Amino acid sequence: MRTWRIILLAIGSLRRTPLRVGLTALGVAIGSSALVSMVAFALGVQRQAETPFRALGLVNVIRVSPKRDKDAGRGPALDDAALQRIEALPGVEAAYPDFRVRGLKIALGDKTTTAVAIGLPRDVPLPGTAGDLLVAGEYFTPGTRPEIILGTQVARDLGLDTPQGAIGATLRLETSGLAPAEAAKTFTFERKDLAVTVVGVYDLPNLMAGKMSGAVLLPVDLMRQIPGVESGSLLDRLKLGADPTQPGYPEVTVRVRRHTDVAPVDKAIQAMGFRTRTLLSRLEDMRTFFLFMDVLLAAVGAVALLVAGLGIINTLLISVLERYQEIGICKAIGASDGDVFVLFLTEAGAIGLIGGLCGLALGRAVCWGLEAAINSYARAEGITAYLEVFAFPLWLVTATVLFSAGISVLAGVCPAVRAARTDPIRALRRE
Amino acid sequence: MDTAPLHEPFIATRGLTREYRMGPAVVRALADVSLNVQRGEFLAVLGVSGSGKSTLLHLLGGLDSPTAGSVLVNGRDLATFTSYERTVYRRTVVGFVFQSYYLVPSLTAEENVALALTFQGRFGREGRRLADEAIRRVGLVHRAGHRPSQLSGGEQQRVALARAIVHTPPLLLADEPTGNLDSATAREVVSLIQQIHRDLGTTVVMVTHDHEMAGRLADRVVRLRDGRLAEEGAAGA
Repeated sequence: MRTWRIILLAIGSLRRTPLRVGLTALGVAIGSSALVSMVAFALGVQRQAETPFRALGLVNVIRVSPKRDKDAGRGPALDDAALQRIEALPGVEAAYPDFRVRGLKIALGDKTTTAVAIGLPRDVPLPGTAGDLLVAGEYFTPGTRPEIILGTQVARDLGLDTPQGAIGATLRLETSGLAPAEAAKTFTFERKDLAVTVVGVYDLPNLMAGKMSGAVLLPVDLMRQIPGVESGSLLDRLKLGADPTQPGYPEVTVRVRRHTDVAPVDKAIQAMGFRTRTLLSRLEDMRTFFLFMDVLLAAVGAVALLVAGLGIINTLLISVLERYQEIGICKAIGASDGDVFVLFLTEAGAIGLIGGLCGLALGRAVCWGLEAAINSYARAEGITAYLEVFAFPLWLVTATVLFSAGISVLAGVCPAVRAARTDPIRALRRE
Repeated sequence: MDTAPLHEPFIATRGLTREYRMGPAVVRALADVSLNVQRGEFLAVLGVSGSGKSTLLHLLGGLDSPTAGSVLVNGRDLATFTSYERTVYRRTVVGFVFQSYYLVPSLTAEENVALALTFQGRFGREGRRLADEAIRRVGLVHRAGHRPSQLSGGEQQRVALARAIVHTPPLLLADEPTGNLDSATAREVVSLIQQIHRDLGTTVVMVTHDHEMAGRLADRVVRLRDGRLAEEGAAGA
């Protein structure tokens, strides 16, 4: 309470030299705005780079395959039983064979096109924010109805001009492939037409567009009906060096609920004797790079703030000299060394706090301006998506203010010690 | 401190010596001063400027430390006080009045008085009440909201006096309180000090070079010459 009173006293004394205090705080503001906008830029770029992965939920995905022969021993088969065991692991949302058919022929009336078909489970919703990518219709319904979700490109190719207009259309999938016969010893060539109903159309943000909007999504159970889909990857299996006669799937996708589940689930699956790949681990490499970038940019900003810290030292040292006699008076009427120390340290901290808050506002304004400029340039270059170049998470905002206050308090130590050590007799004698 | 026997002096100095180093030379401001101040006494210390009067007051007030000898407060040597005890002594036992007032220029009269209380940890309603009371005692209620630059010398010294007694210290140390004032104003300030001494029972040690005034007010007058106690006599002697 007493210290609080002294702190109030210190804040009051800042009003005596508004210009000097203002200029010093401006120094801190410029320093902290440099710091905050640099880090915000690094974070923004990182987020921009990671968003597509997150949107598609790829971060929460583990790809599982059987061990190759050249690995230590032959691993267990990645069959439906294994899938069930994986699905039972805590944190696992779904585990399904990674079916993929290239060059799938799709026909609507006399219009045909080819697309990549990707199998997805019906019983779990689309991962992450991928659900938002559906521009029309819904995700697959439970059950066994033959359904399909089209990429916008495919829909256009089939003459379905609007996504809404595509919903409910019945398409013909012309499939063909080598189906196994006699326990996978021989294969027969099969053709099969499947009638499917369009239940949804998805679109991808511009940045991730390209091939992917030329794909279609099919329920896994429907994918199984495509001849050769289960053995179609035989060549892949041979390429990988796996035993072609080994039962089970060459690759399985495991989805976890949260990205924090990735590591434990990954470990558990490896313990079952399978190989795993996670995008997260590759994302980690990318993050290391971004960490370097963060540190570098933060360092540049911190240098600016350190210079501002020198400004604070300077201002307060002058203040100590100016108020030399006043310090003496305070001591004569009962201020302890500690009181005087707190008095000056508080002034430093207050300057830092004011500067930090103003710097935050300044940095935010500058970033907003830069972002507007970058986006207008991007639009001129034909990129329609809005680019969020800067990110201001709460921790950055808090850390910036605390950091500038911290640096300022640190800068205040030297003048405050000097003030605290003032000899009251000498201070009083000086007229 | 109150456990001390009654016959023991409130403040005493024993062989008090203070030397300053000025480059190669050593200046002896105070030499072997032994002095007793009884509780409730009004002691005047006379001397020309440079005779060591202020040094004596600073030593008594715990602002300075002696080169040799000691200051005893209720029989306890000030040198044995920890730094915090010394601060508490300055905060609670001593009230200081200086020749140049030494008010904080950016604070109003009332704030200056309250400042002393803040360091003593008294504020809020109690602080305001005490500050008001002290200001009323020196008769400056109508000037309480003014800054030192808006006050006359006499008024400033009265504010300083209010600040010195706001916590009703048992000991008031006044260093040439009238040195910067004309004689009429000086009389006002001095009679205020006398009134405080009488009303509150405050022990007063006042340094002055005006021996007429010293003789008129003080219970006892001592004279300092070149840092030594020259003579000691009862008031009016």
